[in-house]
Amino acid sequence: MLSWLAQPENSKPLGLLIFFITFCLIVLWVYAGGKKRGEQMEAHKNIPFLDDDLDQEAKDKSNG
Amino acid sequence: MAASVPAAAEQYDYEIIKKFVVMAIVWAVVGMLVGVYIASELAWPFLNFDIPYITFGRFRPVHTGAVIFGFGGSALFATSYYVVQRTCQARLWGGGLVPFTFWGWQAIIVLAAISYVTGYSQGREYAEMEWPIDILIEIVWVCYMMIYIGTLMKRKQPHIYVANWFYLSFILATALLHTFNNLAVPVGLFTMKSYSLFSGVQDAMTQWWYGHNAVGFFLTAAFLGMMYYFVPKHAGRPVYSYRLSIVHFWALSFMYMWVGTHHLHWTALPDWASTLGATFSIMLLLPSWGGMINGIMTLSGAWDKLRTDYVMRFMIVALSFYGMSTFEGPLMSLKDVNALSHYTDWTVGHVHSGALGWVAMISFGSLYHMIPRLWNTKLFSDKLVGVHFWLATIGVLLYITAMWISGISQGLMWRAFDDFGNLQYSFVESVAAMHPFYAMRAIGGMFFLSGMCVMAYNAYRTIRQGVRAGVAGQTAAAAA
Amino acid sequence: MKLNSELLETNAGVLLVATMLAISVGGLVEIAPLFLIKNTVEDIPGVRPYTPLESRGRDIYVREGCYTCHSQMIRPFRDEQLRYGHYSLAAESKYDHPFQWGSKRTGPDLARVGGKYSNEWHVQHLIQPTSVVPESVMPNYPWLSATPLDYSDVADRLRALRTVGVPYSASEAEYQANVKQFGPEVAETLRIDKAQENLVAQAQAGNFDGDRAFVSEADALIAYLQVLGTMVDFSKLKPEDLVKYR
Repeated sequence: MLSWLAQPENSKPLGLLIFFITFCLIVLWVYAGGKKRGEQMEAHKNIPFLDDDLDQEAKDKSNG
Repeated sequence: MAASVPAAAEQYDYEIIKKFVVMAIVWAVVGMLVGVYIASELAWPFLNFDIPYITFGRFRPVHTGAVIFGFGGSALFATSYYVVQRTCQARLWGGGLVPFTFWGWQAIIVLAAISYVTGYSQGREYAEMEWPIDILIEIVWVCYMMIYIGTLMKRKQPHIYVANWFYLSFILATALLHTFNNLAVPVGLFTMKSYSLFSGVQDAMTQWWYGHNAVGFFLTAAFLGMMYYFVPKHAGRPVYSYRLSIVHFWALSFMYMWVGTHHLHWTALPDWASTLGATFSIMLLLPSWGGMINGIMTLSGAWDKLRTDYVMRFMIVALSFYGMSTFEGPLMSLKDVNALSHYTDWTVGHVHSGALGWVAMISFGSLYHMIPRLWNTKLFSDKLVGVHFWLATIGVLLYITAMWISGISQGLMWRAFDDFGNLQYSFVESVAAMHPFYAMRAIGGMFFLSGMCVMAYNAYRTIRQGVRAGVAGQTAAAAA
Repeated sequence: MKLNSELLETNAGVLLVATMLAISVGGLVEIAPLFLIKNTVEDIPGVRPYTPLESRGRDIYVREGCYTCHSQMIRPFRDEQLRYGHYSLAAESKYDHPFQWGSKRTGPDLARVGGKYSNEWHVQHLIQPTSVVPESVMPNYPWLSATPLDYSDVADRLRALRTVGVPYSASEAEYQANVKQFGPEVAETLRIDKAQENLVAQAQAGNFDGDRAFVSEADALIAYLQVLGTMVDFSKLKPEDLVKYR
């Protein structure tokens, strides 16, 4: 396996393949799963504002 | 509202963050001062003064060490401790380990600087520290990792916010890189000198796997963690797309580790390895720009903030430089471009557009955001933040313009042939031709440094103001 | 799918392991093969470990941070070939702990500087570079020829280098192996038990800094500079060999 990787002619297509598969999997994992899951995930972006009441200047919490 | 402020200070461990914030500013001033000095040595060599301790070769690692590990490292410790506590709503785990990471880390920076000027160096770029210091780094880093993971474990919030993912991958990757790049055999137990375990090609590969990923994880992933917390927080708006930030994270973590070999194009390293590195470098553009767009679009609908708020401006300019550097990087990793750019000042310019434009600017923004909150006061002067912003921006632009011109002209002069097929220029002609640009670079650095001094003054006054108000509040409370 | 995402986002341990996996793949794929192909660059004739004096010179090269301005890696381009000489081979730095290929040429490449200039030129150049190259921006290093070379621990240094794989000989058997590989003359210089003796002898015979009686740091550094890139005799190599060694 490793010696196959050491072949110069294999490294570029292999790298491309590994990257492409991984990238597709990540995108699939993040964006597949319907609207509900999407909304669930996006809801996490409000975490930094959960402790606003502790700050002296709580800012506008709108989701814009 | 005012009554709830002490609650934040009580709920979270702010003391450690304050210490790191102060040292980040101190190391920034020191590191950039040394940077300006060595830049001036190249322009005006008499500045070496025949003193061994301050010659360019010994002083340069002092500069890189103080800015990367002193300024960058302290800023990262400070912000990561701040972000992890506030997004987990949990106090730092670790008790006595927490102050140990502070004193240990500061000792490392000081010891490293002393060892460089006295002539102890491993001869590995950005990892010049000799073995006893490396062991200390390892210990501090493991403590840091334990504190960070320990705090994540005791969080009250079920979800781990994405900024913490970036910090976590930075901590893990740095541990991995530091360990493998510093494998060495000391000459004796009581000597500083050691010899690296690997040699030649293998050593070069290991070093640049470290070298580029120090940039990738220490100077990029970690500062992205900073960005994903402080940009939304300061803008008062959540990040543009949380899902995009997840894609950004996984793609970046996975791909960065492949690209180090693009530093070794056309060398004795087997061709396939550096070509593979270049392939991944190009692909890295995708997640990098995804992240930049994510950060900038967080402001969408609130662009007016940019006009009034210089802290916000620091952050957005930082993101723009992040976008520019992550475009320039892949470009320079192309073998044909690299043939011209490698060994020249272009590389130095590229590093600084990333380090000054992205790393330093996002840190300034985050520090300006944190300092009033940590000391429970207002910034001493918003106007001085503006002055700092302009000095820094002009400084970076001067710096990278000078390095682009000198880098490209070096590359072209070295490969120029005359009509008879002989080399057109001797090497030293290229050195002489660089003088104006080296002077210009030093001046750019001076701009950036003076901006930094303005920040130090502003921070000092803000902190003094906060401390005085705090003392006054306590006496008032005691009197009542 | 759902289980998968929830697990990652809410469990620090799983996130830790997944991140570790993601960041380990790249390094493993690129570095591991290099250790497997090690043997293919091993036997190029001429390449030998540094003598004790050259090795101490290399230590000084590292100490002064010369790599921050000088590279030691010539690339296979026509201009570099004309300016510096034959492109560098992997085997030429196989005894370099650490490698000093460098990343910046504020000054010229030094991979083949050996033999290009006289010892006297080097002494003068180290004391004051502008005295021989007026436009130079290199710092003066006058203390090198004034500072006595500390060679009391040279045997310890060679022993450490031996531990990381450089064939300095600590026993008769290793000495004999070196005789076979490098010839008797070189093998003699690689003996750890005679390290100090050999160092002083080479410094005096070479007379690098122009003062025979005084073994200075400049002696060691110049001895090192003068051997750089001279070990391989390219006139004896065929082009097809180069492809193999590259």
